[in-house]
Amino acid sequence: MRVEVLFPEICNLSGDGMNIRYLHQCCPELEIVETGLKDRPAFLDGPVDLIYLGSATEKGLELMVEALAPHREALVERIEQGQLMLVTGNALDALGNYVTSDDGWHLDGLGILDTHAEYHMMDRHNSFFLGKFEGMDIVGFKSLFGHTHAAVAEEPLFAVEKGVGRCPGAMVEGFRHNNLLVTYLTGPLLVLNPPFTKWLLRQMGAPDTLAFEAAAMDNYQKRVAEFREPGRDYMY
Amino acid sequence: MGKLRFLFALWMAKLSIPALKITRHNGTDFPGSLAVKLCPDFLRYVGKPKTIVAVTGTNGKTTVSNMLTDVLEAQGHRVLGNRFGSNIASGISTAFIRNCDLLGRVRKCDIAVLEVDERSSPRIYPYVKPDFVVLTNLFRDSIMRNAHPYFIADILTRSIPATSKMILNADDLIACSVSPDNPRVYFGIDRLASDVTECINLIDDVRICPRCSGKLEYAYRRYHHIGKARCSQCGFASPESDYLATGVDFAAKSMAVRENGEDHPYSLITDSIFNVYNMVTVIATLRQLGYDHAAIADSLSRTTVAETRHSEEQVGKVRLIKQMSKEKNALAGSRAFDYIAGRPGRKELLLMMNCLGDTHHWSENTCWIFDADFEFLNHESIVQIVCAGARCRDYRLRLLMAGVPEEKILCVEDEFRAAEALHFTPGDDVYILYGTDSLALAYRVYDHMKELALQRSENKEVEA
Repeated sequence: MRVEVLFPEICNLSGDGMNIRYLHQCCPELEIVETGLKDRPAFLDGPVDLIYLGSATEKGLELMVEALAPHREALVERIEQGQLMLVTGNALDALGNYVTSDDGWHLDGLGILDTHAEYHMMDRHNSFFLGKFEGMDIVGFKSLFGHTHAAVAEEPLFAVEKGVGRCPGAMVEGFRHNNLLVTYLTGPLLVLNPPFTKWLLRQMGAPDTLAFEAAAMDNYQKRVAEFREPGRDYMY
Repeated sequence: MGKLRFLFALWMAKLSIPALKITRHNGTDFPGSLAVKLCPDFLRYVGKPKTIVAVTGTNGKTTVSNMLTDVLEAQGHRVLGNRFGSNIASGISTAFIRNCDLLGRVRKCDIAVLEVDERSSPRIYPYVKPDFVVLTNLFRDSIMRNAHPYFIADILTRSIPATSKMILNADDLIACSVSPDNPRVYFGIDRLASDVTECINLIDDVRICPRCSGKLEYAYRRYHHIGKARCSQCGFASPESDYLATGVDFAAKSMAVRENGEDHPYSLITDSIFNVYNMVTVIATLRQLGYDHAAIADSLSRTTVAETRHSEEQVGKVRLIKQMSKEKNALAGSRAFDYIAGRPGRKELLLMMNCLGDTHHWSENTCWIFDADFEFLNHESIVQIVCAGARCRDYRLRLLMAGVPEEKILCVEDEFRAAEALHFTPGDDVYILYGTDSLALAYRVYDHMKELALQRSENKEVEA
């Protein structure tokens, strides 16, 4: 089984690198392929069971788009064929149509998702998130310069129970297209959500046993209960 | 109109000082906060000393500012500073208010040493134009506030006046990228025996060339992105240091600072690389201010590093050690963990770097825990780790992921009960790790640890 981590030299903010570290600890037989910005992506030449893309700086988003743009059509084709791909944090914005920022910065995205982001550089958004995915509670954090504004037809990844969805007022978070799973949530997502990690392992065809399962579940249950407390506000 | 508004704000702020004294709130930034509220560009009008030094950066700015102030005062200067206030606009305004007359003219002080929060730069530098901006380093800090170091570098570049001379860390390519058109000098530390070439830290924010995005090669690397790099594709390279600490010898407590090819001897006042950086930063700044090496070395030898960061004492049969590890700051954690693991002797640790402010109404964003090198704590000399506070379960999971054996880890939410779970084995070093947010609580827990250490020592004697 192979997991391809795209651009680890830049996609490593917000503890996102731990998503794959944890997945590997859960399933030590996974082969982790790290694809650098100047490398040819492994998914072009053979099967990979999961593609992962994590958070980056704004310059990192530019480099991410630049590196993937030549392979956009191939990536879209794989996604249509059911390629499992997980995208976390602001990497979501690289998959959208474009990003605008109040400091004049602009990024044309890959246009894989029909959405665009609006950044407010001196007004950072911080919140925690409690939501649902296939009956599971999902927890995570958002720490972003802005939000994504999507076309209604785009299928979401999570339903919002408490927190901010794709943008303030939206009751859905992230995007799901076949097996493309895209979310703004960090935490890291897989470490904070052991039931979701089990689900992901099953999608990959891997055994769904978790590393440090008791400690991970104890942590998860505590956080879910904490986030659900009525007096606790999701906005920082 | 602006000047009248300024005077009104100044008088109101000045009036608030005795009122705060009477109500025993005299340590706060209220005067500056009030002044800025009444006159948003208050800092534009207030009188400034002849020379202004701003100290900014992710880590070390308090230590550097305090050391600079100590040396300058020892040299006979009256220094205007925000040592006892905050490093944002209100704290800096308060410092000016306390040192000016009723017309806003600066009194007595001939130099200002201002610790400036990086993110507050846009509110300060349009009005306070430093002669020198000392940039200690730029690392990841609170993700919630500071996002990532390149964002902070961009804020600084947009805010720092074009006339300010930059005093920069040559070993930090992110810091070096700030205000590229400004005049500048660099400080750094020469290759150390402990340096490596491949990064062993999770946070490594300068892996690619800022010019061509090619892979950077490091001649040596100290920690994270600190080191000497070169791009083999386009030739981009770290700058040379104008003030280079060389021959750093912790055992002999000595080093030299090389300037224009000549070595000048200094005594080390620290046993951590981080504080050697703070020392050489101070030396570079004082050289820029015109002091000679002998005078700087003499003054520095009588300076100490702030007690709140690290202190230790023998209590009963153990040594108790307070070690600050700023919450929400992965880098601070990594540096503290590395330092502890590298020290001799057996260690017991109490981790309580929780963000107390978030405990009841929000919930701490834990991303930083997964960026911090808890792997350093997977060390044979560390025999017990007690995780405390609201995020104790996150620490436990992270420690397990770092390979720390489960039997070494204990998870106790209440901080005082957590202290009681420590072994206090005779001969051990017993650490409490805390952040700025948990400082007051940590000191109370530490007092409890002292009682426990004495009790356990007495019990051991009775048993014997």
